[in-house]
Amino acid sequence: MAAKSDLLQGSLDMLILRVLSRGELHGWGITVKLEQLSKSALQVDEGTLYPALYRMEAKGWMQAEWKVTENNRRAKFYSLTKTGRKQLEAVQESWERMTAIVALVMESA
Amino acid sequence: MSLLRRLAYRCRALFHKDQLEQEMADEMRFHLEQRTADKIADGLEAPEARRAAQRQFGNVGSIQEKGREMRGWTAWENFGKDLRFGVRSLLKSPGFALLAMITLGLGIGANTAMYSVAKSVMLKPLPYPDCDHLDQIYRSTAQDPEGAISAADYLDLQREMGRYGSIAAYTRGDMSLSEPGQPAEMARAIRVSSNFLSTLGFQPELGRDFRPDEVVQGRHRVLIISQRYWLNRFGGAADIIGRTVRVDGESHEILGVLPAAFNDWRHLGSVDLFRPLGFSQAESSDRTVPRLQLIGRRANSLTRNQAEGYIASFGKRLATEFPEANAESTWYLVPLHDVSVGKGAAPTIGMLIGLSGFVLLIACSNLANFLLARTMTRAREYAVRSALGASRTQLLRPLIAESLLLAWAGGLCAVLVAFWFSRWLGMRSTGDNGESVLIAVDWTVLSWAFVASLLTAVAFGLAPALFAMRLNVNATLKSGARGSTGGRGQRRLGQLVFIGQFALAMVLLAGAALFVRGLDDLNNRRAGWESDGLVAATVLLPPANYPGTPEIAAFQRLTMERLEALPGVKSASLSYSLPFFGLADPRKFQVQGRETPKPGHEPAALINGVSPHYFETVGTRLLKGRAFGDGDNLTSPKVFIVNQAMAAGLFGAENPLGRRLARIGTGAPEWGEIVGVVADIQSIYPDKDPVAYQLYQPIAQEGQAFNEIAVRTNGVAPASLVDAIRTTMTALHPDLPLRKLQPANARIERANYQLGVLADMLSLFAVLGLGLASLGIYGVIARTVAQRSGEFGIRLALGARVRDITRLVLVSGAKLAVIGSAVGLLGAVGVSRILAAGYPGMRLESGPVIVGVTLFLLLIALVASYLPARRASGINPIEALRAE
Repeated sequence: MAAKSDLLQGSLDMLILRVLSRGELHGWGITVKLEQLSKSALQVDEGTLYPALYRMEAKGWMQAEWKVTENNRRAKFYSLTKTGRKQLEAVQESWERMTAIVALVMESA
Repeated sequence: MSLLRRLAYRCRALFHKDQLEQEMADEMRFHLEQRTADKIADGLEAPEARRAAQRQFGNVGSIQEKGREMRGWTAWENFGKDLRFGVRSLLKSPGFALLAMITLGLGIGANTAMYSVAKSVMLKPLPYPDCDHLDQIYRSTAQDPEGAISAADYLDLQREMGRYGSIAAYTRGDMSLSEPGQPAEMARAIRVSSNFLSTLGFQPELGRDFRPDEVVQGRHRVLIISQRYWLNRFGGAADIIGRTVRVDGESHEILGVLPAAFNDWRHLGSVDLFRPLGFSQAESSDRTVPRLQLIGRRANSLTRNQAEGYIASFGKRLATEFPEANAESTWYLVPLHDVSVGKGAAPTIGMLIGLSGFVLLIACSNLANFLLARTMTRAREYAVRSALGASRTQLLRPLIAESLLLAWAGGLCAVLVAFWFSRWLGMRSTGDNGESVLIAVDWTVLSWAFVASLLTAVAFGLAPALFAMRLNVNATLKSGARGSTGGRGQRRLGQLVFIGQFALAMVLLAGAALFVRGLDDLNNRRAGWESDGLVAATVLLPPANYPGTPEIAAFQRLTMERLEALPGVKSASLSYSLPFFGLADPRKFQVQGRETPKPGHEPAALINGVSPHYFETVGTRLLKGRAFGDGDNLTSPKVFIVNQAMAAGLFGAENPLGRRLARIGTGAPEWGEIVGVVADIQSIYPDKDPVAYQLYQPIAQEGQAFNEIAVRTNGVAPASLVDAIRTTMTALHPDLPLRKLQPANARIERANYQLGVLADMLSLFAVLGLGLASLGIYGVIARTVAQRSGEFGIRLALGARVRDITRLVLVSGAKLAVIGSAVGLLGAVGVSRILAAGYPGMRLESGPVIVGVTLFLLLIALVASYLPARRASGINPIEALRAE
């Protein structure tokens, strides 16, 4: 089993939002996508993923719909809502600022 | 948009829980299946792949649990679960649940009912618009702190009232009303100034108000009637306006009918007829006969302080301008609302709420005690759950749910109790005129019940919760199957409950016993007179037919003769008032040959006018001299009879007979000679301090319209004479209404019925409190005994006798009871002080009653301790020790 990288607090939400910003996906799809995009460096823990999905759904950042997959299976597809997109922009911006500051300090110290 | 979506989501989470659960399960199964397929594609065998996928996924249940929390309703769902669990566990012990519900229902119910009484008596404003601008105006003198006002003073005030607002005057005085072909009847009436209704802020619903010129003699024969009288007496006749009726023998025209709202029972409630108040020439300049009540409505521009200052300075000016009548008198205002509530009512009702609070407190501590006992027997269960990792919240939640459930159930019972109690109170306090005081249970009252039950739940739910929180898991698990033996803290809590309940019960019981005893004393007070074998009635002699003393004296002579001729009658009398119902207002007087006292410091006496056979009829003993005779009349010299206290107070050891007195009034003093001394009498009314000096004069020398007839039987039952008396009176005077014609004892009993209601309520609280407290005391001792059974076992095994064990338990109970009664005694004294302040005429201190109550309660405590003590003595030492 590949070592799980500890995700920074709150960054999983951002990653999920980012992945979904390209189009709707089901839970399994999000896992796969995150693994692919991180070149298997990230393995998402289902025990964190699903509560995060439910939380963001309850907050109104994403909506869910049951649809049929390409393999003809029924699955719950999540997609971003308008507030979700705004939220993504907001967290992405603050993330970038944060990493820039961290990088600045790390390099110049 | 987002808000709507979130709301929709929440609703779905709430109402389509099953569907969401299903979806969650489906979603995770899909995930697992995909993962498995992934593993198989990686080359694993199917079962192996499934296991690996599951391993990686983790605990599905716990993830779902987290998902549920995210949906936001978990706390509520858990609470619902706790409630369901609570219902089940309560149903498992229905006896306890029932007891708890009834205990709470009675406690909260009594409290709620008292609140509804307070609301309808004190909190609800009077029906008059801008009621806070209305004040009663009093003139306080040494004799009467709530004195009335003379006509001349009123007219002066009214002349200057421009700055104040409007000031209306009224005076009470019942009258007889008759229509052709119908028997005469007496109606409650007041005479009012022409601005009376407009000052209060009302106009007649039908017809019109009085005109200012209608107070003038000759135009004054007009009436306004109450709505109730219109409906009851005239059947709500549409042609009522302009109808003429005979009032006091004169024809009067009905001008108007008042709205129903005008008759608030707290103020003028039972008045049916309103007549214009006019003054004769002599009255207008008279400052010595204070008989008017004044109500002022201050102008909006005036603050309360300004109004008070205005009235006070007016009083001061009168005192300097007319010192002989007004020196030492001060004028002041009391808000009309406070007047209508009554002086004694507010503290009395406050006290009743307090006492019902005591009942509730006892009920609460009982429940806390019961619940604690229940929790303690389950201590092991709690310890095990705690050891297995249950959090404090998880331990406490079912306990809190249980007490909430009990509180709600109790609250429901309480509402029933409050309804029932209010109805009983309404019925019980129905007045003489058949009008019941309506005490409505409305929403505010119900919310009081709800709040009270919530507070209660907190109060009694806290004890077991605290216990469960402080449970020492280690010790409890080690201490074996018996459950907790309870530490020092628990035992102290039990003792505190015991002492507290005992003290509260003591206050309730002592307060009730003192009051019941005082009322009994009041109703059986026959100081200076005799009520057995006496019939009484009130008669009004209308001024139109009996304009002066000669006519009244003639009436007296003829009527007394006829009544005394009836078989079964020993003697009959006519008087201004009867001894048991108090005498008229006190009047000032002076003694001949002595210096005229400084104005405001004259002695005052209650004055009663009586017919010749009065003293023998009512049973007041003649101590010296003679009674009045037929020879004492307008043509003979004026004579007085004084009571013993007055004779002793004025003349000491000197002989009072032959001394001369005069009332202080206008003009030259009319001296009268004291011809006799009679025993002191005491009225049965509780709200006034008794006036020591009592003065009698013959009716034949000064008659008045209101009179009481008294008839003494020669041994036959007084009730049997009622019809004969009525027939005689009707034959003699067909137009005269007789009111309250009944045996004197029946009337005395009725006189203080409101106090009877109070006594009943106090007794009810006392019985409730006592019952609940003895239950609680029994519970505390029983638990102590159960906890100490091991100790008792050892004592028995070591050779202690059964008697010693019993004594041990009894002594520990008695000790607590003594402490409790000491605390309770303080409270009881406080309660009797409050009552005594409201009812100065009642004797409310009684050593024997306090001692009796204390002994009785100690006995109850001993019995409540003895029952468990007997159980303790039945402990089998071997079993008790083995159980450890």
